[in-house]
Amino acid sequence: MNILETEGLYHDFTGLLVLFDVNLEVKEGERHAIIGPNGAGKTTLFNVITGTYSPSRGRVTFKGKEVTGWKPHKLTRVGMGRSFQITSTFSRLTTFQNIRMGILSKRRIRFNLFRKVDKMQNITEETDDVLKRINLDGERNLPASMLSYGKHRSLEISMALATDPDLVMLDEPTAGMSRDETHNAVELIRRLTEGKTMVIIEHDMDVVFSLADRITVLHLGRIVASGPPGEIRENQTVKDAYLGEVEV
Amino acid sequence: MRNNLSRWIYWVVGLVILAIYPQVVGIYYTNVFVGFAIFALYAVTLNLLLGYMGVLSFGHAMFFGVGAYSTALALTHIQGFPLLPALLVGGLAGAMLALILSPLLVRVSGTAFAMLTLAFGQLIFVLALKYREVTGGEDGVGGYPTPSFNIPGVVSIDMTDQINFYYFAVAVIIVCLWVLWFYTKTPFGSLVVGVRDNAMRIDYLGFKLSHTKAVNLIVSGCFAGIAGAIYALFQNLVSTLGVLDIGTSFAPILMAYIGGLGSFFGPIVGSGILHLLEDVTFRITEQIELVNGLVFILVVLYAPMGIVGLLRQAKAKWFHKEKVS
Repeated sequence: MNILETEGLYHDFTGLLVLFDVNLEVKEGERHAIIGPNGAGKTTLFNVITGTYSPSRGRVTFKGKEVTGWKPHKLTRVGMGRSFQITSTFSRLTTFQNIRMGILSKRRIRFNLFRKVDKMQNITEETDDVLKRINLDGERNLPASMLSYGKHRSLEISMALATDPDLVMLDEPTAGMSRDETHNAVELIRRLTEGKTMVIIEHDMDVVFSLADRITVLHLGRIVASGPPGEIRENQTVKDAYLGEVEV
Repeated sequence: MRNNLSRWIYWVVGLVILAIYPQVVGIYYTNVFVGFAIFALYAVTLNLLLGYMGVLSFGHAMFFGVGAYSTALALTHIQGFPLLPALLVGGLAGAMLALILSPLLVRVSGTAFAMLTLAFGQLIFVLALKYREVTGGEDGVGGYPTPSFNIPGVVSIDMTDQINFYYFAVAVIIVCLWVLWFYTKTPFGSLVVGVRDNAMRIDYLGFKLSHTKAVNLIVSGCFAGIAGAIYALFQNLVSTLGVLDIGTSFAPILMAYIGGLGSFFGPIVGSGILHLLEDVTFRITEQIELVNGLVFILVVLYAPMGIVGLLRQAKAKWFHKEKVS
């Protein structure tokens, strides 16, 4: 069954057509990578699916329900999570508080005005559990802005997962990481997304071929190929458009 | 346990000091203190927007002023209007105004928010000035009765007595400050801080941004209205130049900056400093704004986190702890 589908998705920024008839299908439990050269429209596709923009035309279906144009908070509440290419944490809050925000959302605690959040034992415990799992328990009380780059990226990814989404969309999670950091991040992603559906935008082909079991190639706003990694590796159009140019 | 005990000791010592204060300093400084306390509460409500949510309200006087006018008008026109409802009316008026403006205000942040609040603040200032039949124009509303604090059959305390009013005002303001402090500690309070740091992420974590901002605006407006209501009872005169003008909007900004935006108690400290400063300056010159402005410049240049921020840094240095930012 498809957990996410887009049908005939178009998006233009006042005349500049960035997405052109995109039909994406993501099966439940799949690890789906979206690759393509810079400017192919990958992040725009993410933005349209996760509610940053409404598409100019087309439909987005999530878990069999049409969600075209839904706002991010609504999509998050029905089980979609997203991380950002440019790290987007609560920079002045501690690592703990950053993750706790996700836990509060997962527990549907929003307008609670009658208890101190620090006194909510179960929230604190759950947050500390997550911190341990992502190896950030040593940085628990550090403001996010003071984390090293690699750890800050881990926090970014983990926040998307803290709400316990069924579908997690990661936008270049390893962008700008060193080789070691990338390796750790891939392990982290593998561990945290177990049993979940994942869509990942990634430039690092090692990461793509080690994580994904299906790859979609986007080029100039269109899908030029979609299939299992072996097939994509051999696809001539893809080689011409993309793979050939990139030294990994 | 020890922590709990020291907290109790702080509370008891603080309350005892507040209780004997009027006896020690006399009536003049008792009234100065009431003024300080009203503006402390008012500045804290501004800081709920500025320090906690990260938006600068340039027209905060509208909430304070609408609260003050509502209380004054209720006391003028409704005979025998009781004391506590008079405060509630002010709070409700502030909250209503915030509720009415929130559909517009939650859509903007940064400079646009500052300009929009400035515009609405000025609009309400002019309305109060021109709508003479109700507001008395420049003369304002005054001479209304000050109700007694009345619990039927138990107690009736005359609030025209300045010492009595001191106790009443300080008690109300402490309760309000405690409620607001608690509010910032709730899960919702942590969301508000999240909005300041990264509004988009709040949305992506599943929280409705506009509702979060609106609720915080309404809480801020409500308590600013209560501060205005206490002011109306205290002064027995409400006029546009006293409660709605741009100076009344700037005062809490100055207090919050000087005390420190990063802390709940910063604006309270700021209000204290400005009131002390005003008192000292007045003995030498009438140019209070000049001195306030100078202090503001010094704080912005040398203590961007305000006095409380300075103290925290000093404490961190003293105890060789990690520097807090």
